[in-house]
Amino acid sequence: MKGIGQKLYHWLDERVHLDQLVEFMDKKSVPMHRGSIWYYFGGVSLFLFIVQVVTGILLLLYYKGSEQLAFESIQFLMSKVSFGWLVRSVHSWSANLFVLSAMIHMFSVFFERAYRFPRELTWLTGMFMFFLALGFGFSGYLLPWNELALFATKVGTEIVGVVPGIGKPLMILLRGGPEVSGATLSRFFGFHVAVLPGIFVVLLTIHLLLVQRQGMSYPLRKEEERESLKTIPFFPNFLLRDLLLWLVVLNVLAILAVFFPWELGRKADAFAPAPAGIRPEWYFLFMFQTLKVFPAKVWAIDGDVLGVGLFALAGILWTLVPFWDRKSRHGEKGRLLTWTGIGVVLYILVLTVIGWLA
Amino acid sequence: MKQTPLFLFLVALAASAGKAADGCLECHAALGDTPSKLFLRDIHHANGIPCSGCHGGDATSSDMEQAMSTKAGFVGRPVGDSVSVVCARCHSSGEEMKHLHSSIPVGQFELLQQSVHGKRGTDGRSRIAQCTTCHGAHGIAAVNDPRSPVHPRNLVTTCSRCHSDATYMRSYNPALPVDQREKYMTSVHGKRNAAGDSRAAECASCHGSHDILPVKDVRSAVYPTNIPRTCAKCHSDAALMKAYGIPTDQYERYAKSVHGVALLERNDLGAPACNSCHGNHGATPPGVASISKVCGTCHALNSELFSASPHKKAFDALRVPECESCHGNHGIMAASAALIGTEEGTTCVRCHKDGSAAYVAAGTMRRMLDSLESEETRAKSLVEDAEQKGMEVSEAKFRLREIRQARLESRTTVHAFDQAKLTGVAAKGIAVAGWVSAEGERAIDDYYFRRVGLGVSTLIITILAVTLYLYIRRIEKADRRQKTTTT
Repeated sequence: MKGIGQKLYHWLDERVHLDQLVEFMDKKSVPMHRGSIWYYFGGVSLFLFIVQVVTGILLLLYYKGSEQLAFESIQFLMSKVSFGWLVRSVHSWSANLFVLSAMIHMFSVFFERAYRFPRELTWLTGMFMFFLALGFGFSGYLLPWNELALFATKVGTEIVGVVPGIGKPLMILLRGGPEVSGATLSRFFGFHVAVLPGIFVVLLTIHLLLVQRQGMSYPLRKEEERESLKTIPFFPNFLLRDLLLWLVVLNVLAILAVFFPWELGRKADAFAPAPAGIRPEWYFLFMFQTLKVFPAKVWAIDGDVLGVGLFALAGILWTLVPFWDRKSRHGEKGRLLTWTGIGVVLYILVLTVIGWLA
Repeated sequence: MKQTPLFLFLVALAASAGKAADGCLECHAALGDTPSKLFLRDIHHANGIPCSGCHGGDATSSDMEQAMSTKAGFVGRPVGDSVSVVCARCHSSGEEMKHLHSSIPVGQFELLQQSVHGKRGTDGRSRIAQCTTCHGAHGIAAVNDPRSPVHPRNLVTTCSRCHSDATYMRSYNPALPVDQREKYMTSVHGKRNAAGDSRAAECASCHGSHDILPVKDVRSAVYPTNIPRTCAKCHSDAALMKAYGIPTDQYERYAKSVHGVALLERNDLGAPACNSCHGNHGATPPGVASISKVCGTCHALNSELFSASPHKKAFDALRVPECESCHGNHGIMAASAALIGTEEGTTCVRCHKDGSAAYVAAGTMRRMLDSLESEETRAKSLVEDAEQKGMEVSEAKFRLREIRQARLESRTTVHAFDQAKLTGVAAKGIAVAGWVSAEGERAIDDYYFRRVGLGVSTLIITILAVTLYLYIRRIEKADRRQKTTTT
C-alpha cells in the first residue's frame, strides 16, 4: 500500500513538482498566543461553506425554482426523500452558522488589526465574501416560497428601493418586476446557485492563496517579540486542530438539525394579508430594527433614505479600514478605533435582541 | 260667506262645548266639501285643533280674505315633505303633546325620516312616505280606532296599497315581491286577522311602524339574526299565547339548538331562523308530510335519500312527522352517531323491536359509524402528535379532510337506511384513515429514528474528535521532546 502511495507521489511530483509545495508547507508555522483561538474561525467558516455547497447540491437535485412548484418540491423533499429533511435542515442551519462564524472572523481580524499592511487584499476579499454571504442568505430565504419569506423579501427589496436614484431600478432588477412574484423567485434562485457561488469561489481562492502566501498575522502587541513567540507547524498540527474544531461544529450542526428542524411554514400567497411577525434573518435584524425606529423625517431627508445611506457609508468605511487606519500600519493600536469596534458590536447585539423580542 | 242656520247652530253647540269656534270649518262645512266632512270625525277636531292648526290662517276671522291671507300664516294645502313637517310641529313636541294630554311618543317623525320610507321618492323632491300616506288626512283616527287605516285589522290593506302594486314597487325595488298580502292571507296570522283578531300579527308587528328598515339592514327587526327575537315578542308571551294554546318555549329551545347557536352566536346568516321553516308572510307550521321538504331546502341530500327510503312510506302511513321524529324541531341538536343504533336513547328502538331485521341493521350501521369516527380520531391524533414533534406530515394532514368528508357523507347516507350503501361510504373513509394513521405512525417512528441516528452519529463524531485530540497531543508532545533534545 505504501509502495503505491509513494509511486503516486513520484508520478505527481515529476509533473507538478510537489516537493516545492511540501517544502513550503513544512516551513509554514502558526504563532501561538492568547488570541490564537480567533485563527480557527476562518477555517470554521470554510468548513461551513463546504457544507453549504454539498447540501446545496443535494437540494438542487429536488428543488424546482418556480412559483408553482418551489414550495411543493421542498415539501416533497422533506417528507418523501430519504434524509431530505436532514439535508435541508443542515443547509439552513449551516447557512446561519456560516454568517455567524464569518462575522466572528471579521471582528477578530478587525480587533487584532490583522488587515494591516500587507494584508489589505485579504481583508478586502474577506469583506466582499461577507457581503456575498449576506446575499446568499437573502436570496436563499425566498427559495422555499413560503409566507414569511415572501413578505420578508418584499420588505427587504423595498429597503433597496429607497436608495435615491438607483434604488427603484435596482429594486425592479432584483424583483424582476414591480412586485415580488415568481419572476423574483427565478431570479433569486439564479443568484443563489450560480451568480453568487461563482463570484464567491473566485474570491475564496484569492483569499486562501493570500492567507497561505502571507501566513498568519501576528498580533500588534507581539510584533516586537515575534522571534520569541511560540509557534506550531501549520501542517499537520494546525490543520489537525482545525479538523478537530470542524468535527465539533459538525456535531453542533447535527444536533441543531435534529432537535430544531427548519420549518417550512405555509405556501406564499401574494393576495393573503401579511402574517404577524415578519422579520428578516437575524443578521439583517439590527438594520431592520434601526430603520423601524428611525424617525420618518430627519430635517428634510426621508428617514429610510438617511438610514440606508448611513448603513451604506458605515459599510464602505468598514471595508476600507486598512487604507485609513494609519496607526496600525505603524504598529500602533488606535484606542478610538477599538472603542468604535466595540460600539459597533454592542449596537448590533442590542438592536438584534430588541428586534428579536419585538 | 253663506251660512245656514243649521250650521250656525252646530258651531254654537261646539262653542258651548268649550271648543274654540273654527271659522274655516264653518265655511267649508257649509260648502259641503269632503275634507270638512271628514274632519268632523277627525281625532284632531275632537281635541279642539282647528283647520288652521295644519293649514295656518286666521280661523277666527269671518272674512275669507283675512282668514286665508298669507300674512295670517295661511299655507294652504301642504305638499311633499311639508306634510310631515306640519304633523311634526305637534307630534315631535313633547310640550305640545303634553298640553293636549296625549301619551303618543314624540319621535315618530324622526324615525320615519330614518326609515326606508324616509328615503327620497322617485320624483327626487320629497320622501317616499308622509304621515298622511298611512294615517290619511282630515279623517285621522286613533290607531286603536277600527276606522283608522293603521288599526291592526286595516293595516295589511293600507300597506298593500303600495306593496301589492307591482308597477309602483318596481319603480323602487324591482326585486321586491308584491305578493306579501296574498301570502299573508294564507298564513295563520292572516286568517286570524281576517277573522277580526286584532292581536294576530300584521305587517307592523314584525316590520315596525315608523322605524321600518330594509330587511338587509342589521338594525331591522326582520334581519335574519333579529327574526327569532321579533317572533318571540309574541310567541314567548305566555299571556298572549294562552288564548291560542301555543307553547312559549320555542325561542329558548331554538336559541340553544344547532341552528340557533349558528345564527345567534356565530352570526352565520346561512343558518335558519323561524321564517326559514315556517315561512314569513305566509307563516304557518309545516305539515307532517312536508317537513322533509322544508328541511330539504337546506339539507337537500338527506331529504332526497329519505324520500327514496322505506321510511318515507312508513312515516306517511303512520302520519309521523319526518325529520322531526328523530331530530326534534325547535331545539334540534347537532346530529351525531348516537341518534342511530340499538342502545337505549337511540331513535331506532322507539319503533323497531329487538330481533327484527331493521333492529339488527340499525346496530350494524351504528358500529360502522363508530368505527369511522374512532379511526378518524386516531388518525387525527397521530398526525397532530407527529406535527407537534416537528415532522412534515402536510399530505396526511390534508387527507384528514377526506376522512371528515367521508364521515359527513356517511351521516347523510344514513338517511337512505341502506346498510350496503352506508358500508361503502364508511369503508372509503376507514381506508383513508388507515393510510393517514400509517403516515402518522411512520412520521413518529422517523422522529425517534432521527434521535437514535443523531445519538449514534454524535457518538462516532465524538470518538473521532477525541481520537484526533489525543493524536494532536501525542504529536505535539513528540515535537516538544524533539525540540528539547535538539536544544
